[in-house]
Amino acid sequence: MHELSIAIEILDIVEREAAKHGAAVVRRVNLRVGDLSGVETESLAFSFDAVKGEKDLTRDTILSILRLPVKIHCIPCDGEFKGAGHMVVCPQCEGLDTQLLQGEELEIEDIEID
Amino acid sequence: MSEKITLEQKVLSRNDLLAADLRRLFASEKVAIMNMVSSPGSGKTSLLEKTLGSLSQNLSIGVIEGDIQTDNDAVRIAKTGVPVHQIQTGGACHLEAEMVRKALSHFRLEELDLLIIENVGNLVCPSAFDLGEGLRVVVISTTEGDDKPLKYPAMFRSAHVMVINKIDLLPYTDFDVQKVVRNAMSLNPEIHILKTSCRTGEGLDEWSGFVMEFVQSNNE
Ligand SMILES: [Zn+2]
Repeated sequence: MHELSIAIEILDIVEREAAKHGAAVVRRVNLRVGDLSGVETESLAFSFDAVKGEKDLTRDTILSILRLPVKIHCIPCDGEFKGAGHMVVCPQCEGLDTQLLQGEELEIEDIEID
Repeated sequence: MSEKITLEQKVLSRNDLLAADLRRLFASEKVAIMNMVSSPGSGKTSLLEKTLGSLSQNLSIGVIEGDIQTDNDAVRIAKTGVPVHQIQTGGACHLEAEMVRKALSHFRLEELDLLIIENVGNLVCPSAFDLGEGLRVVVISTTEGDDKPLKYPAMFRSAHVMVINKIDLLPYTDFDVQKVVRNAMSLNPEIHILKTSCRTGEGLDEWSGFVMEFVQSNNE
């Protein structure tokens, strides 16, 4: 359950950022989570709700999670493909000479404040 | 009226920054760092004991133990005569860079060639936390499923080496070595693969040689 550590880290970043902008309330946190990040969406959402606490600033904050599928670039095929599941194998030539374009993200895109 | 503030910030950037600091410190002290991860029961501690047995003659080694349940592993390692410090994670499922930084006060870094971190037995949680290591080793055993890499993609993706342990038990299991190699490479085409048995000693020389090479290349 490292999602708890991640939720605490998110809250920490959000509080710091909110303070910087003099926010009274954080409405929403938009998070991008790649399928290769090792993070479970449900567990993270649950953890976030558990730690966001009773402070006015974050009591009603919505954690919005955008899952990003694995995307690869195959060098021999010179094309962009969706990975099969988590794999970085090219679905066209079945080769491994690929570069990962998307899938390892774990980042806060933006926050919405009042 | 709500205001949108763009962050585009990695959630674990604080851990990443601390890990980068550690990496600089390790480089200046010329100590190589190896982070070992596995499921519980993979034989990681046995492999570590064997590694210490063969390498501690020629290298000055320290061990950080991340087992959260008990200090059994730390006691086993201490018997090899190598300095060991057990991290008290307070029940956490993984180690973080900050825990490693605190543990360093128990070692004389300038005297070490190699610091081995035995991470918590868990293939999910430790994957996201950079500890400043130069080598990440994932240990699996033939008594586990050969689909392990596909179940824990983040870990196999981030590891430099996969050690397939308990290779002597292969005839008694339906573990398919070729399949696990293919699964691991489909996530991480560059992953290096070694096979070991702590019982028969098979593959242990190659493994020790590999670690020795890592330490030597670190000092260049
Ligand atoms: Zn291709």
